[in-house]
Amino acid sequence: MKFQITYTTEYSYSEPVRDNLNVLRIKPTSTPHQVLEDFSFRVDPETRLHQYRDYFGAEVIEFGVTEPHDHLGLEARMRVATREQEVEPDGGWELTETDGYRAAAGEFLLIGDDAPANGAVAALTDDVRGANPLETLLAVAERIPARYEYRSGATFVGSTVEDLLEGEAGVCQDFVHLGALLLRRLGIGARYVSGYLFAAPPGGGEDSVEVQTHAWLEGLLSERDGERRWIGVDPTNTGRAGETHVKIGHGRDYQDVAPIRGVYQGVATAELSAGVRMRRVTDPE
Amino acid sequence: MRENLAQIPEQERPARRLVGESSTYEPAEGFVDELFAGPGAPREHADDLISTLDGIGRLSMVDIGRRRDEIFRQQGITFAITGPDGSVRDRPFPLDLVPRIIPAAEWDEIERGLAQRLRALNSFIDDIYHGREIVREGIVPWQLVLGSPQFRRAVHGVRPPGGIYCHVAGCDLVRDADGRWRVLEDNCRTPSGISYVLENRLAMTRLAPELFTGYRVRPVDGYPQLLLSALREVAPAPGRAPTVVVWTPGPANSAYFEHSFLARQMGVELVEASDLVVRDDIVYMRTTAGLARVDAIYRRLDDDFIDPLEFRPDSLLGVPGLIRAYRAGTVALANAVGTGVADDKAVYSFVPEMIRYYLGEEPLLDNVPTYLLGDPEQREHALSRLGELVVKPTNESGGKGVFIGPQATEEELERQKRLVLSAPERWIAQELVRLSTTPTVTPDGSLAPRHVDLRPFAVYGSELRIVPGGLTRVALSEGSMIVNSSRGGGSKDTWVLSDGRPEAVPGSFDPSANLPEMPAIPHSSWTGQEQQQQQARTERRGR
Amino acid sequence: MLARIAHELYWIGRYVARADDTARMLDGLFRASLQTPGGPESSSLPWEAVMAALGATDALPADGPVGADEAVRALTLDAQSPASVTACVERAREGTKRVRDVVSREMWQALNTLYLELDTSDLGSALRTGPYSVYAYVRERCALWWGLADETMLRDQAYAFLYAGRHAEGASMMLRMLRITIVPQLDERPAEGGPAAALLQAIGGLEAFRRSVTGPADAYPVARFLLFEQAYPHSVAAALELLHARLTDADASYRTAAPLLRLARLRAELEFHRGAAQGPEPAEKLAGLLEHVGDELSEADDEIEHRYFEGAAAHAHVVT
Repeated sequence: MKFQITYTTEYSYSEPVRDNLNVLRIKPTSTPHQVLEDFSFRVDPETRLHQYRDYFGAEVIEFGVTEPHDHLGLEARMRVATREQEVEPDGGWELTETDGYRAAAGEFLLIGDDAPANGAVAALTDDVRGANPLETLLAVAERIPARYEYRSGATFVGSTVEDLLEGEAGVCQDFVHLGALLLRRLGIGARYVSGYLFAAPPGGGEDSVEVQTHAWLEGLLSERDGERRWIGVDPTNTGRAGETHVKIGHGRDYQDVAPIRGVYQGVATAELSAGVRMRRVTDPE
Repeated sequence: MRENLAQIPEQERPARRLVGESSTYEPAEGFVDELFAGPGAPREHADDLISTLDGIGRLSMVDIGRRRDEIFRQQGITFAITGPDGSVRDRPFPLDLVPRIIPAAEWDEIERGLAQRLRALNSFIDDIYHGREIVREGIVPWQLVLGSPQFRRAVHGVRPPGGIYCHVAGCDLVRDADGRWRVLEDNCRTPSGISYVLENRLAMTRLAPELFTGYRVRPVDGYPQLLLSALREVAPAPGRAPTVVVWTPGPANSAYFEHSFLARQMGVELVEASDLVVRDDIVYMRTTAGLARVDAIYRRLDDDFIDPLEFRPDSLLGVPGLIRAYRAGTVALANAVGTGVADDKAVYSFVPEMIRYYLGEEPLLDNVPTYLLGDPEQREHALSRLGELVVKPTNESGGKGVFIGPQATEEELERQKRLVLSAPERWIAQELVRLSTTPTVTPDGSLAPRHVDLRPFAVYGSELRIVPGGLTRVALSEGSMIVNSSRGGGSKDTWVLSDGRPEAVPGSFDPSANLPEMPAIPHSSWTGQEQQQQQARTERRGR
Repeated sequence: MLARIAHELYWIGRYVARADDTARMLDGLFRASLQTPGGPESSSLPWEAVMAALGATDALPADGPVGADEAVRALTLDAQSPASVTACVERAREGTKRVRDVVSREMWQALNTLYLELDTSDLGSALRTGPYSVYAYVRERCALWWGLADETMLRDQAYAFLYAGRHAEGASMMLRMLRITIVPQLDERPAEGGPAAALLQAIGGLEAFRRSVTGPADAYPVARFLLFEQAYPHSVAAALELLHARLTDADASYRTAAPLLRLARLRAELEFHRGAAQGPEPAEKLAGLLEHVGDELSEADDEIEHRYFEGAAAHAHVVT
């Protein structure tokens, strides 16, 4: 599929601020099943941009607005072509128990100090454990949205997995954090993926109903012949991540791939309006 | 001229009949005493000192102690201690009046061993943030590196000027019961205590100058100049005099006195986060004459707090954009970002291997035998002997969470076992070191043996320079081996005796002597390769 | 030097000066009241005017006269009012804590002792029984502060900004006093012992006035004295000169510095007016001049903040 995506963010400050520094991770990466065909980015007020690729391979855009301003507008336009990711039959649990697999999964296998390890988590872990890692990965994407309610406002950007378990409601970010925890507890490398999701409207149509960036999960699977690949699943919408999922980048958790981080000098409060507009396009014949 | 203790066999030293305090001094059994060879028998290099002390007598010692407390209180040289009830008090820094003496030749050995260790640690840090060769070769497990909270991915691939990461380092040393020096712990992040070394020496020369009779003690007051030179050497400021600052979290920090002291001694500004601003990848400080460019920052904040855009977003102590400037190579940070990866107690056990791997040498200073409890075999062995070992969390400092086997009850032993089993990779166990003792003044003015360690300070600029001696920390209660000042320890002036060689003085600064700037490597080869591998796999199959 | 440190010093100078001037004024008023038949309540200077003159306008009640007690409380004890003595001392002390490395230990001790004394004593009752001792104590300690500053400080930028703050505050206070207490009297029939003389006495300038000016202490001559007389250290002209001198010391590019250019122009205007008027002028003219000087000083204040302390007081705010 091909998409035209427009990502916009507007900050409105109650009084002028200065030295407004921002770090953005919004530019789609290139993968075996995704090609970035076009990308442009604008900031208002205009300022110099700096781009680099970070440790996890994501394309980062940095900039700062020095002079006093009471409004910051960002707009990125991009054109991406995606195709389905092929999945081979799974090689079985034994293949995740080797030193080679663990080294390949690396930090994506490690569970943080602050991760909950209570009864709810243990029960869930048992629940999703399948005949092999691939089935487990698919189970994670199925059980979590079935078990927990998707409700924005139930959690906030700094929420933890514990908050989700307690409140039994959250958004995609929380579902992915939980999914990653379950997979890692079972010895499967798990990556938090940030990106754009094309969700077609019920009656069909060209514009996506999804108006924010999206998060999903990638698990490191071993195929029968020993090859390893990261396979994406969506624990918010169930099922595999496919052509409708445009990837920006991955990390261990949200903090590694937050779309935007910013700091400014001033005592003003900021009002934010952000949106993603995604439209399917077809190439002219 | 004091001769090396080890050169004269014990039996051949002249016996001394002493009159006074020292004749009743009994070294503690089973431990090496720094100044006494046996009961009432001072070591050769301690002779003069002990005679002088005998002449001073108990009452005068108590008197001098009172004067010392008053001076320190007036000057604000205090340290915050936490009482058993959790209350925090400011106490004048407890300087014990009996110095610790290290003969010249012995210090030479320590110095060589430390320099070797620090060079290896520096190479390790450089390796970890680039090719990670030591991990690829299977010498250091990847979990220790990638799982360390101190592994800072934001600076992966960045090489600071000269490839120097640990500009200021302190390794804690102890002398074991067999007389050998061992490294207890490495500190590559923000070692503190140098100001006490300087203040202690100054206080001793004022309070008890007579103790110095008969000794040529190597000076320590050159430290601020050493630090300043090193900072200037690494500052990326080609062709102009670099601007160096000391960055403090502020007066509320327990080591603020030291930050302010060093800034003053070096003659540079003491800045807080609000004084700094980053524009277009360059760090500036706000002065009354507008923005002034900053080239090198001696920072006394942990990585977590230095930049809310890259690390903890809630840190009000940080400077937004600092890491951008660091990546762009426009500012030097001392110590470099991410050195904590070498600080970790589990990584410590691999330092002898690092020395072999990076330097191709055998370690001159030994570690304390250490067991990684994350490893099943070592864990089994350690748990079976838990009552004989010391157990420490891999990621704490200041003596927090330390479990001492021989002093524990059955119950405490069981509790520690459970703690370890619940998260084994977060613990290490070490053999108990029988810390050496040295005569220390007790409340009534008499001398008694108390356990000590040693923290030398090294500065790494265009050369590695180690301050003679360092901070000797002493446990003030009998039998205790806890020397941390936050938990009731004190300190002593440390004398390294001169062997007649002239002191090396850092040369006057020459801007062209700056280390060449090395371009920042834009992104890690590790991640790039991973991506290429994936593509390659995909292309090989099914096409 | 660091903008933050300079900013702190400038404001310490202002707060200590404000505490000192307020204490001096209140002390003077109480002394003056001893000599009037009706006591403090019938002083020729109404207390509302005093409060306004000292900058405690936000503590003024909406209507009705203000009693001595109330005014004294507002000007001495009110921790929230920027004009009260205790508030000024506290802020100066807080600021000094933050610049401990720059001021001498003795200076810190002088201020700290004052603060502790004000904090721990029962000021309320002391003010009722013997206010003079309270104010005398404050003035003594402030004098000690300036004396120690003079003795122990290097004549560097730190010194320059500390004293710049002192003189900026002095000029501002004197202007306010003139506009509120003297100007309304300018068109009245001259009367010895009126509010003008009371003000002069209150601030301790009566003796200096008599040595410098022949004739009675009426509103007009007193106004001229307090505005133009360079030889009197608390006059507006003297304060402006000293402010200009200290900023010149502190600023490497003083020739083109906006606040300095403005101050130089202002001083020249004042000098011109001093020479131009031969006899009593209509009140509006003097009132107009005072207002103009006040406006210019206010502009200069902003320019000083902008040029030397930019960003020093800004806070960073985090957004994700």
